[in-house]
Amino acid sequence: MRPPADAIATLSLIVGAIALLIFIGVEGALVYAIWRYRAARHVAGEPATFERNRRLEIAWTAAPAVILAVVFVLTLGTMAEINGAGVAPAMRIAATGHQWWWEFSYAGVATANELHIPVDTPVDLELTSADVIHSFWVPELGPKMDMLPGVTNRLRLFARRAGSYDGQCAEFCGIEHAWMRIRVVAQSRAEFDTWLSAQAAPAPHGSEGERVFLANICVNCHAVRGTSAAGTAGPDLTHVGARTMIGAGVLPNDVARMRAWLADPERYKPGTLMPSVPLSDADLDAVAAYLVSLR
Amino acid sequence: MTAIPLWVRRPAGERVGWLRTVDHKEIGVLYIGMGVAFFALGGLEALLLRAQLARPEERFLDPETFNQAFTVHGVTMILLAVVPLLVGFANYLVPLMIGARDVAFPRLNALSFWLSLAGGIVLYFSFLAGGAPDTGWFSYAPLAERAFAPGTGVDYYIVGLAVNGAGTIIGAINLAVTILLMRCPGMAISRVPLFVWMTLITSILILGAYPALTAALVMLLVDRGLGGHFFDPAGGGQAVLWQHLFWFFGHPEVYIMILPAMGMISEVIPVFSRKPIFGYAFVAGSSVAIAFLSFGVWAHHMFAVGLGDTENAIFSATSMLIAIPTGVKIFNWIATMIGGRLRMTTAMLFAVGFIAMFVIGGLSGVSLAVVPIDLAVTDSYYVVAHLHYVLFGGTMLGIFAGAYYWFPKMTGRLLGEVLGRWHFWTAFVGLNLTFLPQHWLGAVGMPRRVFTYAADTGWGPLNLISTIGAAILAIAIAIFLVNVVRSLRSGEIAGDDPWDAFTLEWSTTSPPLPENFATIPAVTGRRPLWDRKHPELRDAR
Repeated sequence: MRPPADAIATLSLIVGAIALLIFIGVEGALVYAIWRYRAARHVAGEPATFERNRRLEIAWTAAPAVILAVVFVLTLGTMAEINGAGVAPAMRIAATGHQWWWEFSYAGVATANELHIPVDTPVDLELTSADVIHSFWVPELGPKMDMLPGVTNRLRLFARRAGSYDGQCAEFCGIEHAWMRIRVVAQSRAEFDTWLSAQAAPAPHGSEGERVFLANICVNCHAVRGTSAAGTAGPDLTHVGARTMIGAGVLPNDVARMRAWLADPERYKPGTLMPSVPLSDADLDAVAAYLVSLR
Repeated sequence: MTAIPLWVRRPAGERVGWLRTVDHKEIGVLYIGMGVAFFALGGLEALLLRAQLARPEERFLDPETFNQAFTVHGVTMILLAVVPLLVGFANYLVPLMIGARDVAFPRLNALSFWLSLAGGIVLYFSFLAGGAPDTGWFSYAPLAERAFAPGTGVDYYIVGLAVNGAGTIIGAINLAVTILLMRCPGMAISRVPLFVWMTLITSILILGAYPALTAALVMLLVDRGLGGHFFDPAGGGQAVLWQHLFWFFGHPEVYIMILPAMGMISEVIPVFSRKPIFGYAFVAGSSVAIAFLSFGVWAHHMFAVGLGDTENAIFSATSMLIAIPTGVKIFNWIATMIGGRLRMTTAMLFAVGFIAMFVIGGLSGVSLAVVPIDLAVTDSYYVVAHLHYVLFGGTMLGIFAGAYYWFPKMTGRLLGEVLGRWHFWTAFVGLNLTFLPQHWLGAVGMPRRVFTYAADTGWGPLNLISTIGAAILAIAIAIFLVNVVRSLRSGEIAGDDPWDAFTLEWSTTSPPLPENFATIPAVTGRRPLWDRKHPELRDAR
């Protein structure tokens, strides 16, 4: 199938070209009227009065109707195409919007904020929300679709080229709406399968950071598969180290930034629901190193 | 210096009279004053927003302040500035234009103004009472529910909008009854000035649309205050229900804001072209079509909600249909100018500016009716650009045209033409610099209502241009306000009919007598004053 974004781009070009022609015609007529009929060009006295021409008026009512009928037919065709009409999805991924992060779930493997998909594969996202209305939007991959609590919407994604595509929440969802970014990583089927099997593995054990993490309130909200941490209010952290960004796009992911984020999330994402956990410097170092090691 | 006339400033001992006036002209001036004051507040809020967005990851405003500012900016401009300005002009002009001594219910008229103002004051009181609403002007549920908006801001939004809306509904009843029942002898409904036509249609739109908003607000109040579940899916409610109710009000509201401005330029363009409006019946009739269709297009605000392809296709079709009667008007205005003898006064410049800018907003509006394009750019800065081309490029330029045109009638003095030209050109440059780049920002992925954006998005330069444009727009508005103050004090004396105009308001004194006309006029055509001045060239209709 053609990527939905390409179908939309083609339709936009057609509609844009029609609009440009109308724009030039109307603005041209307006400028002509001003230039041609300005008072300075004329002798004094009142101009001739003509105030209607039924044929002309019917013509300029009918012409836009014909143009719009054409646009409407094109609209219907593209609507069906971007929905993936007739092309069954090769994969379904559940996507849930949260204030202010994204949960993605591949048949039992949960991850957050970075969505991996195989290229050249029709993928359907099943969209819902855990709280308010969000909207999933990655402009280069296609249209946006709202995520509503209590409803499951479907959005067809199709990436032709491997690479990283950025987007963000498009429906105002509260104080941190601006920092609810999405990164879609499109990769070859083999790379994708490798990534997915790595994600399915439980987290390794035994570090000091793990001990601190499990002994603190982190576990109330976060899950790390393979440990006792099973919170669901925040992102699953089983492989948080494999993600490129922290906090749905506020900081690049490395040990120093992870430590800074843990010490004071409010500084980077004012209004975030993540509290700053009172930890000693040594504990902060240990937890930051632990989380980034979860690859 | 001659005395400043009654309708602008009462003598010192009588100022309290403004509080108890039931005169349609004074109430009109009160409405316009309210609109100007709230326009200034909404403009300051817009400047704060643009300052914060000038650079990526700017920290000028914290997110909570930003969210309050864009919410209150939207509510202010739509419900407390544009609507009162338009209703104010209608209040002042409709009785004069149809040869009546006042509106049908003068006391109700005062009530509607004071309710509208009270709603605005309630909304702004929220700033002092713990925080303004921060959920956007359309305040979607469930974000606006108590669970996600625990402060009192949304409660002030609910009460403020409901009270303001009650005032607007009462005012609409009054204007509609006035136009239907109080026209002078000979003033058939097919002869009323087009501004009056548009006011009649707008009033009917208000009567259909505002009650849906009031109902939705009451439901939200029940949810927030009494533990209701209208919009709460966990309790069996529906989040989308709010959107249906809100946009059933919200889209007709767009036409409530644009039709009277179209009526204004439909008065200005003929007078300064020295010709009657081209195709009166088409201009009036197309407005009826717009009004009818406007109640059937609301879900084009909801294409991304997931209503389904069939529903989206239906609303796409109705939204495209409404472009046809809208386009007809543009052709009629240009045809009015063709063959005329154009006097490019400031009023006429703004009227022509309306057409030039509204075309852009209209075309981007059609693109938003194309479902796949809408799914790409809805909720982005593209929509912000579109709605500002309609409401600033359209409505506000129309209101400025009306201000330059009717200010002499209301005050007895002309607004300055030199400052007027500066006003026009700075506004024209400022609005295009502000809003044109936003189309591109939206198309490449900048959502609306973000308090900041990451540096790696590359959206910085266009946002900076937009902010510079907003500053230029602010200068334009300042020039206008200076012009108003200077002209009130020392503007050129206008006389009864400074524009050699066509309609009845110019047949009385400037400002008009308290009773409007010494004797009620009788008319035989659409341009009664023209007929009086040119008995040999009397209009046939």
